[in-house]
Amino acid sequence: MAAKPIASPIPVALYPTLSVFTLAIGLVITAIFFIVEHLPFKGWQVLGDMIRFVKVIYEATSSRKNRSVGKELATSAVASVFLGFGSLFLLLASGVYV
Amino acid sequence: MKQSSVVDLLLLLLAIALLATPAFSDLVLSKVERRIDVTSQIARVTKTLKVVNSGSESVSEFALTFPKFLGNNLAYLSVAPSEGKGKSKRTLVNLSVREADQKGLPDSISVYSVALPKPLSKGDTLTLEVVAAFTNVLQPFPEKITQGEIHLVMLQESAQYLSPYAVESQSLSIKLPNARIESYTKFENTKLQGSELKYGPYKNLQSYSYSPIVVHFESKAAFAVAEKLVREIEVSHWGNVQVTENYNVVHRGAQLKGEFSRLDFQARPNPRGASAFRHLLARLPPRAHSIYYRDDIGNISTSEMKSDSKKTELLIEPRFPLFGGWKTFFTIGYGLPLTDFLFASEGKRFLNISFGSPILDLVTEKLIVQVVLPEGSKDISVTTPFAVKQSQEIKYSHLDIAGRPVVVLEKNNVVPDHNQHIQVYYKFSNINLLSEPLMLISGFFILFITCIIYTRADISISKSSPSYLAKLQWDEVLATLQEVQSIVQKCLATHDKLEASLRDLSRTGDIQTCKAARKSTDSLLKDLSKELKPLLGFLQSFPSASHISPKVEELVVKEKELQEKLMAKHTTVVEGYEKKSSGRDIENRIASQQQKIIALRQEIEDLLEFIDEI
Repeated sequence: MAAKPIASPIPVALYPTLSVFTLAIGLVITAIFFIVEHLPFKGWQVLGDMIRFVKVIYEATSSRKNRSVGKELATSAVASVFLGFGSLFLLLASGVYV
Repeated sequence: MKQSSVVDLLLLLLAIALLATPAFSDLVLSKVERRIDVTSQIARVTKTLKVVNSGSESVSEFALTFPKFLGNNLAYLSVAPSEGKGKSKRTLVNLSVREADQKGLPDSISVYSVALPKPLSKGDTLTLEVVAAFTNVLQPFPEKITQGEIHLVMLQESAQYLSPYAVESQSLSIKLPNARIESYTKFENTKLQGSELKYGPYKNLQSYSYSPIVVHFESKAAFAVAEKLVREIEVSHWGNVQVTENYNVVHRGAQLKGEFSRLDFQARPNPRGASAFRHLLARLPPRAHSIYYRDDIGNISTSEMKSDSKKTELLIEPRFPLFGGWKTFFTIGYGLPLTDFLFASEGKRFLNISFGSPILDLVTEKLIVQVVLPEGSKDISVTTPFAVKQSQEIKYSHLDIAGRPVVVLEKNNVVPDHNQHIQVYYKFSNINLLSEPLMLISGFFILFITCIIYTRADISISKSSPSYLAKLQWDEVLATLQEVQSIVQKCLATHDKLEASLRDLSRTGDIQTCKAARKSTDSLLKDLSKELKPLLGFLQSFPSASHISPKVEELVVKEKELQEKLMAKHTTVVEGYEKKSSGRDIENRIASQQQKIIALRQEIEDLLEFIDEI
């Protein structure tokens, strides 16, 4: 009958930091998804050289006719994992214990 | 009220007279000490009973009796045996107490039956410690007072201990608040020492002895009663136990008569507001955080918090002082760390949390405790040290699908003595924790999928309208343009590579490498121009691209020109190196070429920009 205290899977104090980082990563990947894949003509000027670098990777597939669904799905999956965990940590950090 | 108690009394006396043979066994109380504490609004009675079995049969039950007018207001009753001497006997387990049937006793007596830890055989003695808390037994008298009057209350009891057993010796002491005492019933052996009133000792009392007493005194205690208190305890395995308490507090002392003067109250609060209370003190568990105190209007700023490692004290001040009969409503909420309250044992988890309100000396008429467990909890069971009404509900909160199971515990007439720990046992798998992030993730994913579908979907109604066809065509033009653009960009990058090889040459003088670079770029550029040709033809075939195609053609021509110039320059430089002419000489020779190259490059970039903006 030894009762063991139960703790949260991740220390509560880490939630704010985790939320900032996961959300930042998630938003960058989202930006790549939208700008590179869906707005191929505009927006290069907006994000400058960083995106230009990414553009080289996606160049062949960025036109509307020959965009790759696989790549888009992969990008959006990764982005949604980061955004999902990020927003969960944001909720927890702000006191909404789901 | 006074009248009814008099009737009670008459009935009681009648009953005692009529009582022929008590149905109870031959127990004798050799010594009874009763202490009544009325310093708060609750009358807390502590009794030490020394029970002796004088009969021949062993006894396993003991009857506790109260006059009905007290028994009806009994909020808490606990009986513990104390065999040893001294104060170290508090750890003993409480005995089970149940309300017994009257067994031929008159209605004016309430009977409770106590199961003894082991049957009491002949001649054995046992000491019982009884704690009983009564609410509403301190009757305000007068029932209505003005703002300036003091708050007087009245207590009715019996100087002799009402018991179905004979009592050999008994004494009663009443602890009154340190204030005015208006009157009290005087017998021969009544003593008033400071604020303590003593009756007895009385020797050799018969069973059902009763001698009514009335004490009339001033009470400065806060008669704060929560008519209804809803405590919601929400467990989150992400690390928090959130407690929200909704209070409906009323002052149950003497009602305020006449008008209330705020000016008088502010200027001389002591005589002009003696019956009111301003503060309530809540003793929260240690490490409570995110504490708030608000009502329907919003935050109430008049609260104060002190905390140390053992407790958190929250002093709350309602929006107005509460006089008799006045009501207020407010909400307190706080978060508690999970590790202090949630434990695992034998494959189950349990929440170990106190049942009642954290506010000191608060009587709760109707307490509803809602324990909200995480979604997916199973096999829920509750252990409470006293009887409560139990039910289950479902609550929908953030990110729920099936809803969270809620254990609802209800109890009427709750006093601070009920602030004991309850345990809510349940089974929960940690995998269920992932359901919330998964829900968020799928939410975001659906958003992305919608975008993907939207950009691909053809949602025009008329598939043959000229504008639709034009749009389709225009899309193709854009796609082609993009390809052209990317090829030109690649060409420019190749040019850059060629330039770089020249720079390397001037640094290292390695002509072979430079020539190899030249060769590779040559073939690359050839390939690129091959790719470019069909695109150009394609673009020219579109009527809608008529204003763009000249520009694109110009771009291609300029690019070709640039290519040639660059090649010429490259050849010149390499030749110069082969002939081992001086650096200055070479530079002079290519100076004019260089200028043209720069100009062309600029033009190409302008054209690209123009195309980019389409």
